[in-house]
Amino acid sequence: MYRRTRLCKPERLDSSRGLLRLAIEPGRRSDEFVPLSTSMHFRDVWVIRVVHPNSVRTCKLASKGSQRRRCTMTMLDREEWFDLARKLDWNPTYVDEAELFPVEVSGRPWLPGSAWRDWDEPYRTSYAEYVHDQHAKEGAIHVLREAIGRPEDVQRLNPAWRSAIKLHAATLPLAEFAAVVGNLRAARFARDSAWRTTASIGALDELRHTQIPLLVNHDWVAWDPQFDWTHRFLHTEDWVAIAARHFVDEMLLVSDPIEFAIATNFVFETGFTNLQFIALASVARGIGDRLFERMVENIQTDEARHAQIGIPVLKTVLAHDRERAQYLVDKWFWRSWQFFAVVTGFAMDYLTPIESRGRSFAEFVKEWIVDQFQRAIDAIGLRRPWCWDLFLASIETYHHMVYASAYSHRATVWFDLVLPGPLERAWLARKYPRTWNMFDPIWLRVAERWRTSGPGLEWYAHGTTPVGFCDLCQLVLCGGTPLVNSAQTFAHEGQNYMFCSEPCRWIFEHEPQRYSKHRGVVRRILAGEAPANLLELLRYFGLQEDTWGKDVHRGDYPWLVKASYDDREGR
Amino acid sequence: MLVPLHGFLQGDTLGLLVLVHDHDHVRAIASTLQRAASVRVAPVDRASVFAFGRKLDPDATVAEAGLRALDRVDVIPEGVA
Repeated sequence: MYRRTRLCKPERLDSSRGLLRLAIEPGRRSDEFVPLSTSMHFRDVWVIRVVHPNSVRTCKLASKGSQRRRCTMTMLDREEWFDLARKLDWNPTYVDEAELFPVEVSGRPWLPGSAWRDWDEPYRTSYAEYVHDQHAKEGAIHVLREAIGRPEDVQRLNPAWRSAIKLHAATLPLAEFAAVVGNLRAARFARDSAWRTTASIGALDELRHTQIPLLVNHDWVAWDPQFDWTHRFLHTEDWVAIAARHFVDEMLLVSDPIEFAIATNFVFETGFTNLQFIALASVARGIGDRLFERMVENIQTDEARHAQIGIPVLKTVLAHDRERAQYLVDKWFWRSWQFFAVVTGFAMDYLTPIESRGRSFAEFVKEWIVDQFQRAIDAIGLRRPWCWDLFLASIETYHHMVYASAYSHRATVWFDLVLPGPLERAWLARKYPRTWNMFDPIWLRVAERWRTSGPGLEWYAHGTTPVGFCDLCQLVLCGGTPLVNSAQTFAHEGQNYMFCSEPCRWIFEHEPQRYSKHRGVVRRILAGEAPANLLELLRYFGLQEDTWGKDVHRGDYPWLVKASYDDREGR
Repeated sequence: MLVPLHGFLQGDTLGLLVLVHDHDHVRAIASTLQRAASVRVAPVDRASVFAFGRKLDPDATVAEAGLRALDRVDVIPEGVA
C-alpha cells in the first residue's frame, strides 16, 4: 500500500524539452517515492517525461505506503533544466565507484564522487540548441567556401602567406581529431556527469574542427599538392609530424580526463589558442584572407566554450593535490608554448608579408599569454610555471632559432619558406631590439649563399647534415640563443638523452618510463630504420620533389640582385 | 668506430648530428661541424672544442677525449666577438 503524502507545489516554468520537475516536500527523501510513469529522480526532484511539453500536465507519482495520487506539475525553465539534466550522477550499487571509474582511465588524483559533486562550469547547452547553433555556423563556412574558397582565390594571396595556411592546415585538423578521442574518453570516464555532458559536446566541436579544414583545403590539392598534407601530415614520418604526434598523442589521445582537461582545456585552449584563432585571424584580415580569418573565428567560438571545462577540473584537483595540479600546468604550459612558437611564430614574423605586419609575435604573446594566462592562474591560486622566466626569454628567440634552422633545411617540410630581406630584417630588428643582432648575421650568410648560386639552386643554400632532435619534444635542438644553445643531456639506464631545454629535460626526468622508449629521428637513423642520406631521408619523411619545401621565390629576390650589383659596383 | 655527437657551433641556431671516428682528432670535430653549418655560419680557421665543461685537447683523439655516442660538444670559433 502506498501512503498519501504531500508534495511541494510545482512551479510554472518555461521549457520545451518535454521534461517536468516535481520537487519533493522538504524533509522527505527522494527514495521514499516510486515512479508511476517514465521518470528518474535526482536529489530532491522527480523528472518525468511528458508527451506535450508546453502544457501543464497531470502525472502520476506516489510515495511508498500511500495510494496513488495525481499531482499537477509544470515545466522547468531553461536554466533550471540545465542544472537538473547536467547533474545525473547516481550511487553505483552493482560495482564499486573505483571499478566504474578506474584510476588508470579516470585519472589521478582519484577522488570519491563527493569531491566532484560541486563541479560546475558555465558551458551549458542542450543538444537541440547545439545542433541549431552549429548548423548556422556550418552554413557560414559553406557560404565562404563557395564565395572565396576557390583555388583562384587562394592563388591571389601572397605566396609566403599561403605557406602559413599550409602550416596551420597540416598541424591542426588531425590534432583536432585526436581531441575528439580525448573528449570521448572524458564523456565516459570523467568523474562528474556535467563534465561528461560537456565533453560529449566538446567531441562534436572537435569533429567539426577536423572536418572544416579538411574540406576547405581539399579543394586546393589538385592545384597545389602541398595542400594534401592537410590530411597526410600526421600519418607521415616527417620530423615535424613525429614531434606533433609525440605532443598530440600524449595530450589528446592517451591522457586521462583529468590531465586532458588541464592540458587541453585549460592550458592549451584557454592559454594559447587565442594566439592562433584570434591574433592570427586578425593578421589574416589585414592580408585580405577573409576565408582563413572567418574559418578560424568560426572554430574559436567553439574553443572558447568548451575550454571552460578546464577551470573546474583544475580547481578540484588543486583542492586535493596541489602538487599534481601545478605539475600538469607547468608541463603542458611549456609543451604548448613550443607548439605555438613554431606554428604561430613562423606565420606572424616570417610568412606574413611585410606590408601587412603590425604587431610582432612577441607582442601578441605578451598580450595573450603573459598577461591573460598569468591572470588566469593567479585567479585559481596557482603559482606561475617554474619555467616562466625561461619562457619569457624564449619569446624573443625560440621561433627565430627554429625558423632559421627550418629555412636551411626547408626540403624536410611540406611548405615553402621565405628569406627575410632588408625590409623584413629591419622590421624584426625594431621588434626584437635585444636579440635580433644575434640572428641578422645568419640571414646575411644565407643571402650570400643565394647571391653566389643565383636563383633556382636550392641546395646551395640548404643544409645536408642530419640535425639533432630533443628526446622529449622531438623538435630540433633550437633552445637558447645562437651564443649559448640551451641543450641539456641526461643519462638514463645507460643511455644518453638530449633535450633542447631545461623544461624538456625536467618533464622527461619526471616520467622517464613514459618517454624513454620513444625513437626519434636520430635514434631511427642510428638503428638503421631511417636513412642518413638527405634525399633518402626526405622520401622516408613522405616528401617528393613536388611537395618538399623550397624557398618561396626560389631565391629570386629583387633586393638580392640589387645587393649583388651594388657589391660589384663597390657601392 | 663511428661516434655520432651532438655538435653545437657558437653563432648557429641548432644542434647538428656530427659523425666522427673514434680515432679522429678533436680538431676534426671543429672542422666537420663548421662545414655542416656553413650555410648559416661562415667557417673560421681556428675554433676550440668543449665538452663536459672543459676545453678538449685538439690533438687528442675522440676516444682519448672520452667522447661517447650522442655526447654534447660545443665548438667556439676563436677571434669572433
